[in-house]
Amino acid sequence: MDKNFIPEDYIPILVQSVVAFGFVAVTMLATHFITSKRKRIRTLHKDENFECGIEIKGNARFPFSIRYFLIAILFVLFDVEIIFFYPWAINFSEMEWMGFFEMLLFMFFLLFGFYYIYKKGAFDWKHDE
Amino acid sequence: MPDAVQNLQMIPLNDYIFFCSALFAIGIIGVLIKRNALVIFMSVELMLNSANLLLAAFSAYRNDPAGQIFVFFIMVVAAAEVAIGLALLVMIYRSTHSIDINALNKLKW
Amino acid sequence: MNAIIALSALAILTMFFGVIQKKSVLLPLILSGLIIVFFLNVIEWGTFKHYYNEMFIADNFNIAFTAALILTTFLVFIFSALYYRTVKRPLEDIYALMLFSLIGGITMASFGNITMLFIGIETLSISFYILAGSKKFDVASNEAALKYFLTGTFATGFLLFGMALIYGVSGSFNLQAINSYIIANKESIPTLFYAGMILVFVGMAFKIAAVPFHFWAPDVYTGSPTLITAFMSTIGKVASIAAFYRLISITFLNVHDFSVDILMLFAIATIIVGNLSAMTQDNMKRMLAYSGISNSGYLLFAIIAMGPKSAGTLLYFSISYAIATITAFAVIMLVREERGTFSLQDYKGLAKQNPVEAFAMAVAMMSLAGIPPLAGFMAKYNIFSVAMNGGYVWLVIVGVIGSMISVFYYFKPIIYMYFHRADAHKKIETTKAYKIHILLVSILLIILGFLPGLVIGLL
Repeated sequence: MDKNFIPEDYIPILVQSVVAFGFVAVTMLATHFITSKRKRIRTLHKDENFECGIEIKGNARFPFSIRYFLIAILFVLFDVEIIFFYPWAINFSEMEWMGFFEMLLFMFFLLFGFYYIYKKGAFDWKHDE
Repeated sequence: MPDAVQNLQMIPLNDYIFFCSALFAIGIIGVLIKRNALVIFMSVELMLNSANLLLAAFSAYRNDPAGQIFVFFIMVVAAAEVAIGLALLVMIYRSTHSIDINALNKLKW
Repeated sequence: MNAIIALSALAILTMFFGVIQKKSVLLPLILSGLIIVFFLNVIEWGTFKHYYNEMFIADNFNIAFTAALILTTFLVFIFSALYYRTVKRPLEDIYALMLFSLIGGITMASFGNITMLFIGIETLSISFYILAGSKKFDVASNEAALKYFLTGTFATGFLLFGMALIYGVSGSFNLQAINSYIIANKESIPTLFYAGMILVFVGMAFKIAAVPFHFWAPDVYTGSPTLITAFMSTIGKVASIAAFYRLISITFLNVHDFSVDILMLFAIATIIVGNLSAMTQDNMKRMLAYSGISNSGYLLFAIIAMGPKSAGTLLYFSISYAIATITAFAVIMLVREERGTFSLQDYKGLAKQNPVEAFAMAVAMMSLAGIPPLAGFMAKYNIFSVAMNGGYVWLVIVGVIGSMISVFYYFKPIIYMYFHRADAHKKIETTKAYKIHILLVSILLIILGFLPGLVIGLL
């Protein structure tokens, strides 16, 4: 990495961004002018799906069951624990069997946690309180 | 393949320190002036992440992996805190129907 | 190290037995487990070992404080049977969380690396956040948990940024390595390092509830379930102060001149504000919260003076504070269950109706106030003499004035119990086991007062 960058090197990026933003702006303006005034009014009919797709129901911001939240949180927790596998995997050959068994122990704790929440009914969808 | 560490080291260390301090200050101000518990929570996360970034920067400059491992620990702890914090927020919302911290006035401040 | 491994196994067993609905084995399992862990911990006495690249250092300081923490937890668990007697479910989650926070506390008393300090603090705090909110349908408990959570994570942010700065300057998380960096560059330590130290001190002051970072404590202690308050105010304080002592005695001893100024400010403000605020409280729990705040001011004396007897005195003060606080809370939870509030008025004439409980409460209060034959007096006396030997005369004067103020509010419940006539309150029915337990704990407090030399001489 002995290469020095000068500001001119970034011109392609500038050109690309101008084109990208310009395209969006031009298309939006063009559609605004091309379509006639009368058709721009939104009707109930126009918001519906055409030919395919699932029928829209209600608002996206309706209150949802706390179960989703629970599952999401549990996912985050178990997901983040995987982070410890990265340094372990890099140093795997140096740590030999000891490291392997230590990681097994770590996995055991995680699995026990999973067993615990399973038994506590965190995944029990039927009984909502 | 260019070394990622060398790439990082092209930026002066002081820049990282200033940037992280700024992030940290934004986090503190957010905690102190915001009234929505969720936003306070986000500000706290910003504080933690500014520390993360600073650790990673120092770690890269010193060629010492200890700082990065610490970052892993901070991330895991932050995830645990997120889980508990959100659960507490849901609990509060259920009892007061608001997550404004001004609603937390049952106990004398 | 033995203690942490055994306690983790115990906590997991607790969760397992809870999940298969074996409620009756839980408490006996935990209590006997804690006794075993206590002995496993004590047999390591005198052996100086370190594990995992000095992440964990098992010296006498660690073992003594681990023993104190386990003893405290044991006492709390004794009274948990009374507190949760109406609850039908196994409660293994609460018990396991208490054990996990104990593990966090032990880690805080034994770290050899800043990483471990952070993990210890977080294990302790995260468990406490949940425990504070464990009364799920009580608004006060919810509120306490959220307040504790927000202020606690805020403090963690400070702590982490300070740790990052210290790491950036010294290049290591190892306590000894940071110390040798300080010795090598005594003249040219950059300002960044001092900034990091201040941030770490602020974070630790939050955890021990030292003024001006104490504002969460009264609310959290009032709102949490009483048993949990007893647990938090003892384990949390003892572990945090042990961690603080360890951090300063190993790492920052050679920049102690700089630390002393900040810590003195904390200590003086803590004693004045804590004692003055406690005077006006009518709620017993809140009063004890402020008393806990003022006690962390006294505990800071030992860290400021940093003499040869500091560690032993810290241990003795911690134990006497923990036992007295737990005794007081054990009586408070009984009275609250019968009379419904935490108000001082509920204690009118308690001595006539429940002499044993009133006696225990009186002993606890007198110990906290520092009345001569009891443990609290010897603790305060020794901590003042440590500060005196270090040459901090003004600190001792503030401490003595604070402790004179504290006599006023600690004697309020005693006066109510012994010299006021009871209203229409009935006698509070208790079990025989509870009476024996509470009597034993208060006798322990009296015995401890006669052998301070034994405990202080340990370290």
